[in-house]
Parts: sequence; C-alpha cells; structure tokens
Amino acid sequence: MKRTEIMLVAGAGGVGKTTVSATAAVLSAEGGVSTLVVTVDPARRLGDALGVGGLGNRPVKVAGRENLWAAMLDVTASWEAIVTRHAEPEVAERLVVNPFFRAVADRFPAAQAYAAGEQMADFVDSGAWDRVIVDTPPSGGGIDFVLAPAAMRELIGGRLLTWLTGAGIPGRRALYRVTARPMLRVADSILGGPLLEDIAEFMLDLRTLYDGLASRASEVERHLRAARTVLITTASPTPLREVRRFLDQLPTASVDPAAVIFNRVLPASWATAGEPDAVEGIGQASWTALHDNLARWGAEARHEADTRRQFAASYRVAVATVPLLTSPPTDLEGLALLADASTDLVGALFG
Amino acid sequence: MLDRRLLLVSGKGGVGKSAVAASIAIAAARLGRRVLALGMVDSLGLALHLGVDSLGADPRAVAPGIQAAVIDRARALDEYLKLQLRVPRGTPTRQLSKALNVLVDTVPGVREIISMGKPIYEAQQSRWDLVVVDAPPLGQLLSYLRAPATIERLVPSGIVQNQAASMRRFLLDARRSGLVLVTLPEELPILETVDSLDELATEPLVDLALVAANRVLPRLGVSDGVITRLPDGPMRHAAEFHSTLEDHQRYWLDALGDATRLPHLFGLVTPAEVAAQLSGAWGEAR
Repeated sequence: MKRTEIMLVAGAGGVGKTTVSATAAVLSAEGGVSTLVVTVDPARRLGDALGVGGLGNRPVKVAGRENLWAAMLDVTASWEAIVTRHAEPEVAERLVVNPFFRAVADRFPAAQAYAAGEQMADFVDSGAWDRVIVDTPPSGGGIDFVLAPAAMRELIGGRLLTWLTGAGIPGRRALYRVTARPMLRVADSILGGPLLEDIAEFMLDLRTLYDGLASRASEVERHLRAARTVLITTASPTPLREVRRFLDQLPTASVDPAAVIFNRVLPASWATAGEPDAVEGIGQASWTALHDNLARWGAEARHEADTRRQFAASYRVAVATVPLLTSPPTDLEGLALLADASTDLVGALFG
Repeated sequence: MLDRRLLLVSGKGGVGKSAVAASIAIAAARLGRRVLALGMVDSLGLALHLGVDSLGADPRAVAPGIQAAVIDRARALDEYLKLQLRVPRGTPTRQLSKALNVLVDTVPGVREIISMGKPIYEAQQSRWDLVVVDAPPLGQLLSYLRAPATIERLVPSGIVQNQAASMRRFLLDARRSGLVLVTLPEELPILETVDSLDELATEPLVDLALVAANRVLPRLGVSDGVITRLPDGPMRHAAEFHSTLEDHQRYWLDALGDATRLPHLFGLVTPAEVAAQLSGAWGEAR
C-alpha cells in the first residue's frame, strides 16, 4: 500500500492558516498528487476559500479540480463516533444520553482535537490519497492538536478516574463504593443533590473506553510524529508567541516543524525607500500626506522585518514569507496568485 | 462605560483584546479610578501590555491606580468555597476543596463558575472602582457566561444554586457589568462579530457595553487621481495599498454598524506603548 504524506498546518487563529492550507492543497493537487485538505474549524472558512459550501465529515471532490478533495469535520459528531467505536453498545448508548456527556464533549478541547486526530488517521489509513493536509484547530496554536492523544489517555485513564473508580476497570458495583466516600458525601450535601453519583456513573462508563482508545491514540500519535508540520504566523506578538510556544514544547510533542511561514508581510522596499522628486500637479498638502503615509508604512515594514530577523536568529527552522494582499483570496485563482506572490512558500510547504 | 464595575473584554484571537483591556485600565486609572486588571486564561498578553513580564494570583501594582493579577484556579476555588459559598465553620474545607479540585477538570460548569466567580466577586469589593477582565475569545467566554445557568440546572437547590443565580443577575445588569467586544475591520472578524452579536441577542448572558473596531487606518486624504500621477515606486505602492485597504475597512465597518474605532498604530515596538496609545481613545467613549 502506498504511503500517505501528512501535512499539519498549525498556528494561532486569524493568521491565515486556512488560506495557507487551501493554497498548499491547490498546489499539491496541481502537481498531480491526489490531495485531501481537512479543516476542523467550525467556521466554514475553508469551504469559502475553496469555493465549496457545506462540507461534511465525508470528503467531497472540489468541483473543476483534478486530484483535490476537501472535508470539514464536525467534531461533536466525531466525539460520538469515538464513543461508538470504543465502548460496548449499551455503554455507548448510556454515555450519549448522559447529561454530562454533551457538556464534556463541548468543552474539553483535547477531546475535539483528538476526535479530529482520529478522523485524520482514518483518512490516512484509508490509503485513498497521496497527501492529507490538516488545517489544525487554532486552540493552543496547534499544540493542543498534537498533544491531544496524550491528553485523552490522561482524561480517561488518568488520576481523576483512578481516584474516583479505583485501579483497574471497575464493575458497576464500584459506583456505590465511590459515592459512599465521606468526602463526596460532604460535597454532595453542599452541592445540594446527587450530582456526584451522576458524575461517577458517567466516569465509570467512560473508563471502559480506555483500552480501545489508548491503542488508537498511539496510532494517531504515530501519524502526528510522521507528519510534516508548518507553522503559520504574522509578525504580531500574539500569534508569534503561540509559534514560540509550539517550538519550545517540541521535545514533548516530538513533531518537527519543517518551516515557519510569516503571512501578510509588507514589501521590504517600503522600509528603505527614499522618495521621488516633487511631481508636477501634486499640491503641498497631498505631497505631505503621501510622504507621511510612506513613512508610516515604512516604519511598520521595518518593525516587521526586525521581528522576523530576531525570530530567525533564535530558532533553527526555515522561515518563509507570504506578502500581504489587500484582500484575502476567496477563490482558487486567488490562492494561486498568493502562491505566485511568494518566492519561498512552495519550498517551505513541500521541502 | 467606565462607570461600570466589571468590564469583560473579548473577541477572536489576534484582534488585540489584551491591548484593549490594558488600555481601558489605563484610561480609567487616569480618571482616578482604582482599577483591577485580571487575566482570565492566558495572562501574558495583559502583563506585557501593562508593562510587566508576568502576573501572579495576588494583585500587584503595575501603574498608579492599576493593580493586576491572573485568575489562579486552585486559589479561586478556595476563595469560592470560603468567601462566596460561606461554607460553615467546621466543614472539612481542605478535604472538600481537594475533592472538588479533582472534579473541576471534568464537571461541566464548575471550572467556569469558579473562574467567572472571581471577577464578579472582586467587582463587588469596595477596594476597586472597576475590574477589567482580559477574557478568552467569545466562543470560550460564552461557556463561562453560561456556567451559572448550567449550574442552576444541574444543582437542584442550595447555596451553590443561589450563588449561581446572583452571578447571572450581576452579569445581566447593565449598570454593573458589560462586555467589550473587540474586532478588526476585516471580513472574517466582522462576520464572526456580527454572528456573536446575533447569538448574544438571542441568548442574553451579559450586557453589551460596546463593540470596538481595532486597527482602523487613518484617512489618507489623497484622491486616486493624484496617486496615479506618482511615478512607479514605493511611495505610489504604499499610497495605493493604503487607499485600497481603507476602502475595505470602510466597507466592513459599515457592515458592522455602531462601533468605537481604535487607531491602527504604525511601527510601535512594545506592547506597553500600544496600550498607552490606545488608552487615549477611551476619554471620549461613551
């Protein structure tokens, strides 16, 4: 069976991650490589960027393009799929109707990121594509996605459940042992209800998922380690901090980023520009305004360039730039223009 | 706006939430208010914009009239039990707190109500005139704001329920609390903001104090006809670029409707400079 390449596109929200993922997918497909691009962003941005609306969990072929498929994951549904896959049927049924299930599924980011990771692994294992490109969830600048399998193992096999249910996979009788603990009785009397019993029951059910989930989580991790990771940022402090955090946590994540791509970069020429001689027909007020405008954007470009230089000096990772466009690309042609406007994007993406 | 006791500053990632939160704190302190600036989840951005490297659980003075801290969950849980629930003396609070601390990670609403309880509690203390919170992005903040209602549903009766109900009322009281929603004059942030405003309109969780559009470009004030007389080169490119971007911004600001405009700051180096510059905008804001 052919080996499927995985590309992870990570970074903070709002830096153009989805645009870069879609650009990478278009370039990859144009190169004759059958490509699936996957986004887990609940907003339909990838759908918009690719000109296809209403992507579902199932990959759809992008209209008018050879070799290009796209999928947008509904992570809430994926989380139900995890339970259905890893739990006994009657346990799965009980879990899905448990009031805590939906709440936990909605609010535990690692569960959503993990559900996305399992889906990604499914796509890769199907062998249907040569390359799978994942627009990772922005939570934690992408690091949450990479660490999700470990976080899920910890959630289901970790100290909370062990503490509540004891070591080993407990039987349902353990529930009574758990809720009889004096500490929990005190908590219950203050909380004013059999809340903890409900929780303990939920936990016991969740615990039975452990074996299946742990082995699948290891497979997801193996895929993540084999992936080519590119980090997207702008020169703004917030997203750059996320990239630094990603790189600093690498020893634990064991995912080697191939490149950092600075998006929306101002032209270097503005930083160093002198100004033309006075032009006939341009009055003093206009000239001053134009002069001030160039000075302002020049200062901005200089500041950005300094930030990039400082960054490149402190990390041993390839740095590429994509120029700022006045309006972000909204269709496939726009994505191609974006790629053309950068001298080093293709190298950063595909090596 | 600065007359309220609690302001939650939110918006999607990268729009400048922390800078805006810090700028509000600076503007209020300038008016003589005693301000507490609180980081809710990630406090580094707030710290840098207030000119310090980090924040701890104890409020520290960062500027005249401004103290700042980060919400430490374990600490907030203890305070919640002792100060807010007024757990009776003699209750083994250490054990209880230990038990709850483990559950906080898993039980829906508990972590959120504790994190939300802290700023609401502080906003009711007489030592502060204003508590400004650098809150997480709106999607996440909504789950915090829903926590009181979630808890009221899950917990049938008792002190916890009463406490949750009182928090819900505090958040909805426009004289006492407000949400400052920060956005950028660009397509995706504006569309998301409009969605968020719809969501808040159908599910009122907190009073909307104002929407702030950040990084609004200054007017170039030179017509396209004049720009085209320039020879090809950086001055012309920068002018064309600015004028196109300005048009886009104007279009998206119109789509957004009523909003306070915060200026785009060119080439500023430190986050503290950014916050200080932005604070000037709050003098005249409602």
